[in-house]
Amino acid sequence: MSRDIVIGAGLAGLCAALRLAQAGRPVTLVAKGAGGLGLSQGTIDILGYAPDRVFAPLDAVRAVASDHPYSGIGPDAVAASAAWLRDELGPELLVGDPGVNLHLPTALGSIRPTCLAQPSMVEGAVVGGRRYVVVGVRQLKDFSPELVAGNLARTPAPDGGAIEAHPAWIDLPARPGEADASGLTYARALDDVAFADAFAAAVAAVAGECDVVLLPAVLGLRRLGVWRQVSARVGRPVAEVPLQPPSVPGIRLYEALLGRLRAAGVRHVQGSLVTGFQAKDGRLRSVTVAAAGGPRELAAAHVVYAPGGFESGALAVDSYGTIAERLFGLPLTASSSPDLVGPDFWAPHRLFQVGVRTDAAGRPVDGEAAVYANLYAAGGLIAGAERWREKSGDGIAVATAVRAADAIIGGAA
Amino acid sequence: MSKDEAKRLRERLNNELNRATLDHCVKCTICEQSCPVSAVTPLFSGPKFVGPQAERFRDGESVDHSVDYCSSCGTCSVVCPQGVKVAELNSLARAVMKAEHGIPVRDRLITQTTLMGRAMTPLAPVANAVLGNSAARRVMELAVGVAASAPMPTAHGQTLRGWLKKRPAPTKAPTRGPVIFFHGCAGAFFETEAAKAAIEVLEHLGFEVIVPEQGCCGLAEQSNGLFAQASDAVLKLVGQLRAPGTAAPVVSVAGSCGGMLKHEAHEILGLDDPDLADVGRRTRDISEFLMELYDAGELPTDFAPIPLRVPYHQPCQVRSQGMGMPAADLLRLIPELEVVESNAVCCGIAGTYGLKKEKYEIAQAVGKPLFDLVLELNEGLAACDTETCRWQIAKSTGVKTVHPIQLVHQAYGLGRLPGLG
Amino acid sequence: MARRLTADVVVIGGGSTGAGVVRDAAMRGFSAVLVDRSDLGQGTTGRFHGLLHSGGRYVVSDPGSASECASENAILSRIQAPAIERTGGLFVAVPGDDPDYGDRFLAGARATGVPAREISVREALRREPRLNPGIVRAIEVEDASVDGWQLVWGAVNSAKAYGAQVLTYHPVTNIEVADGAVRVVRCHDQRRDEDVLIECRFVLNCAGPWAGQITELTGLPPVPVVPGRGIMIAMNHRLVNTVVNRLIYPADGDILVPVHTVSVIGTTDVKESDPDHLPIPAAEVQQMLDAGEELIPGFRQARAVHAWAGSRPLIKDDRVASDDTRHMSRGMAVVDHLARDGVQGLLTIGGGKLTTYRLMAEHIVDAMCDQLGESRACRTASEEIPYDGDAKHYTITHRLADREADRLDDQIICECELMSRSMFTDLLDAQPLSTLDDLRRQLRLGMGPCQGGFCASRAAGVAVTEQAVDAERASGLLRLFLRNRWIGLWPILHGDQVRQTAIDHWIYSGTFDIEHLPEPAEEVVR
Repeated sequence: MSRDIVIGAGLAGLCAALRLAQAGRPVTLVAKGAGGLGLSQGTIDILGYAPDRVFAPLDAVRAVASDHPYSGIGPDAVAASAAWLRDELGPELLVGDPGVNLHLPTALGSIRPTCLAQPSMVEGAVVGGRRYVVVGVRQLKDFSPELVAGNLARTPAPDGGAIEAHPAWIDLPARPGEADASGLTYARALDDVAFADAFAAAVAAVAGECDVVLLPAVLGLRRLGVWRQVSARVGRPVAEVPLQPPSVPGIRLYEALLGRLRAAGVRHVQGSLVTGFQAKDGRLRSVTVAAAGGPRELAAAHVVYAPGGFESGALAVDSYGTIAERLFGLPLTASSSPDLVGPDFWAPHRLFQVGVRTDAAGRPVDGEAAVYANLYAAGGLIAGAERWREKSGDGIAVATAVRAADAIIGGAA
Repeated sequence: MSKDEAKRLRERLNNELNRATLDHCVKCTICEQSCPVSAVTPLFSGPKFVGPQAERFRDGESVDHSVDYCSSCGTCSVVCPQGVKVAELNSLARAVMKAEHGIPVRDRLITQTTLMGRAMTPLAPVANAVLGNSAARRVMELAVGVAASAPMPTAHGQTLRGWLKKRPAPTKAPTRGPVIFFHGCAGAFFETEAAKAAIEVLEHLGFEVIVPEQGCCGLAEQSNGLFAQASDAVLKLVGQLRAPGTAAPVVSVAGSCGGMLKHEAHEILGLDDPDLADVGRRTRDISEFLMELYDAGELPTDFAPIPLRVPYHQPCQVRSQGMGMPAADLLRLIPELEVVESNAVCCGIAGTYGLKKEKYEIAQAVGKPLFDLVLELNEGLAACDTETCRWQIAKSTGVKTVHPIQLVHQAYGLGRLPGLG
Repeated sequence: MARRLTADVVVIGGGSTGAGVVRDAAMRGFSAVLVDRSDLGQGTTGRFHGLLHSGGRYVVSDPGSASECASENAILSRIQAPAIERTGGLFVAVPGDDPDYGDRFLAGARATGVPAREISVREALRREPRLNPGIVRAIEVEDASVDGWQLVWGAVNSAKAYGAQVLTYHPVTNIEVADGAVRVVRCHDQRRDEDVLIECRFVLNCAGPWAGQITELTGLPPVPVVPGRGIMIAMNHRLVNTVVNRLIYPADGDILVPVHTVSVIGTTDVKESDPDHLPIPAAEVQQMLDAGEELIPGFRQARAVHAWAGSRPLIKDDRVASDDTRHMSRGMAVVDHLARDGVQGLLTIGGGKLTTYRLMAEHIVDAMCDQLGESRACRTASEEIPYDGDAKHYTITHRLADREADRLDDQIICECELMSRSMFTDLLDAQPLSTLDDLRRQLRLGMGPCQGGFCASRAAGVAVTEQAVDAERASGLLRLFLRNRWIGLWPILHGDQVRQTAIDHWIYSGTFDIEHLPEPAEEVVR
């Protein structure tokens, strides 16, 4: 019995698997490991810079270059896919309007555009004239309130106004005797109501005069309302600022999506690399999974390939500078790296825009023709954007996943 | 065990591809996000730390004893998207450390699973009385460091062999060819019900079930760093499973032990044995085996309904086999059976980890989310593929915990689980 | 208004030569000031492969150097043990190498007093299982690995204990010669933005590849320095735990050195004109990877983390063609400007190698004493240099053991290199004007696989929290650090380091939006 095989458990793979399963299709999600969502900032970017700061992302999507991943999708579909994800995850996890960017403080104190955000973050949106207190936790090394406050205070708000920001600290171990705790350790501790109370009390004691209290994004992993509890105790809005990995807001999204798709009946094969495939007459018949003990063939009706880009090794550069797609050997927009990276750290690195090109249905193409009639690409594999620079990775992932799933659903129906 | 042994292990490590996989680590923290032990205690510095990170600093004497808090659940390697053999690196580092610094008597004792089973069976009532007697357990804890409240196996009066000998021969002639049945130590001695159910299901489906004489797979010894003993055990087992001389599938009802045959003996013990590779290739978990039949359209699904909500926990060492969650998929084919996946990383026992005095509380903390879920959702039964995990769940929740195949057995009308309508 | 200092001797250059010289001079009772245009060990000393020669490399090609290396190796191992790891070394012949070279090697070793012993191929492979299994001969020597920065900081701290002053980020702007003698060294304190005038009796030009530029400041005819550029690549982990050399006449890409957590393959030798612009050409990277593959099968699949180029400070020697710098004598060259130019109180030093830095310093200070007509004995070979902690040789497990002991009480800022918060804050406290790179060289911050991806922002944050810098400077330092890491990253961007670079960009650009911090009015460069 053939199933739809989704390869990759990042945002794109999870969305594609969920969308397919909701349409009643048998789906197997195969992933080498946990996806990259738990490393992300935990918001849904659509387009943050183009190259100037974007306020209305859908307008900017309409204006992208013809080789951009958004180009064949268009603002309406981008908006619809983002709204679909937002509604799937619900207002406890994701809020916002795909047409409007939020401008949120980062853990360096810069002001980052994003689109949909977790409700625990939105009060941080930077507006001129706001007074912030930035509270660090002594046992948490990934958040320096002095650095965040100092940079915010010297940065004009996107509306041109000035911002006031002051640092403060609390000293509250997540676990006794541990001076070096990760954000995740705090999040787990804050799932406990009593610890969250103690945490909130400590924050309240140092919050001082301000409009908003900025906190590292550690306010609970499984219990989503911790920020409300802290805010109530502090007596004014609090907002989470995402940290470097492990990123609690990203893990929240990952776990929520995984839960949704398991509930939808998706089989989830984790820890096994897809190492090969069988194809006949221009269609993929099966993919080969390196399970413990030996390979297993998974018969495939369709394959949504969402393995990520260079960060996962799906796109790889060998020691001779040859760029290749690991599994299917798909044609890429460039095949040799040396000319695509240069000495200027801040300049765009063209290497990271390399990927596959697709047809209107999202199928990788060789020239104009789909490589396999039933192979679709989604997410970071697709060429044409340096996502981290544009702040566009999430929106591209969701939109291309929905495009692929809907093409399969529509074609099958 | 000696410095020489440690040196030999380290030389092996240095020459192994597993060590080379540390190069793939991009420090991303995904393994740390999933580690069940570092989630509950700072005593374990976490898989990234003791794995690819510390490995760059290792040459000569072991200096990082906190690697011993790793429970060998293998989750880190499963979740690593970059292909770092985190658990394998940790296991070898621990084996080196133990070779250098010695292994407590306790670790040797609790790994002698076959020996324990053999010794206990004829005297089951006595053995159970001793192990169940809190004073005796207390003495044992003081003497060898097995935690007094840890789940210890209960011996049965009849071994699987005894049952096989005494039961009436199957009446139906096989219609599908042979399978070689691997039951594990627990299936042989402590908890024969799952093995019996599996054999009867396979026979019901028309297979000829061959049950060769078989010993321990060595998993417990391996996870305690006793690599030499573990290697001897698993290779002996491989010989036994190959003894019938057929290329038939090896179907395992011992969830974690099947993983030993499939990959751990090769990946962790470093055994490059063609016979092992042959058995590993042929080994299927019983649920995996049945789901392969299902996907091929060859599994009868004339299941009788079981109107029950059952929490199901996939053990860490079953998940690490990279086959998805076939037991849950299988149980979902049974009408009216509501399967609730635990989504828990580990029950805490991780083979023998939770039996140790200094690890007992950590193991209980690791298992707590699972226990809470089982307590909240059970309607008299929980399901889990590995024996020690079943004991851990049952001991910690008071909820009877069975192998999924026992529910399938009932759904095929082959028997009835006690207490289930 | 310039700051004024007086000293017997001004040592120009804070590399190993200058550090050795300032220590030696101070120990002989001279008042000494060392000046450098940037931080200590930022030039050639920090840009080598980490090898403390046993002398083996030179037993055939340069017997004099071989003997010197052997005796200095023993001395440094005694007086600077914590900077040195006694890895031992192997010279191995791979298929195709001249098998008879080994006999010449052993004969040369006997003649030069370099300890060497042939071992069986089987034993060599047992010790280093990743070595090419086809090796045909193996000779064991006493190579070691050495941290050049620890070596320099040790010597300089010792000099300071003897009263020397050390002025970093003080580029020399002028050397005044009057009445046929050096009188004043003028430099500029870049951090305080003020001129500094040092009246002195003597100047020792230890500026290495920049020595020619220094002599030009005196108005004298330039000393012809030929920078011989070599590239090195650090591989992510120790593919070997012993120094591995090819058993051939010295050539490119014939050394693999386990130093700290990495193994370094080196090196090339190409004549350059400007020591401030040393490229890492793709062709040379490929050459090194091929060379590595010959020693360690699978080398190309192993992870390269960083590359760098250093330049040998060779003074031109007419005996060899000037485009073949390898075959110039590695011995030191001392240009006596009294003899050459009629100027008293100025010596320029070229050549030499890190392993013999102490001996070079002894000769130079001897030469200075000769010219001054003073007789003061050198004591640097016998007195141990104090280091924090114990005086044992470095071992790779040190930091792992330290963190095992303190990880619950301290934070680990750089996880790859296991640098704790207190290691960082202690040094920052002692050297508050440092850049993150200055601290890196002493602490290995950001030198592991992630190349600062996870730790650089932490370090910047700690520096602000500790009030060593404000947020603006911290952000500038962070930008500088990432820019500098990139210099050694993009030339080797393949394999696993591409994944890492992508992850790092996801963090800095993706999550932190670092590129949209307010642009600094002026980019922080020091």
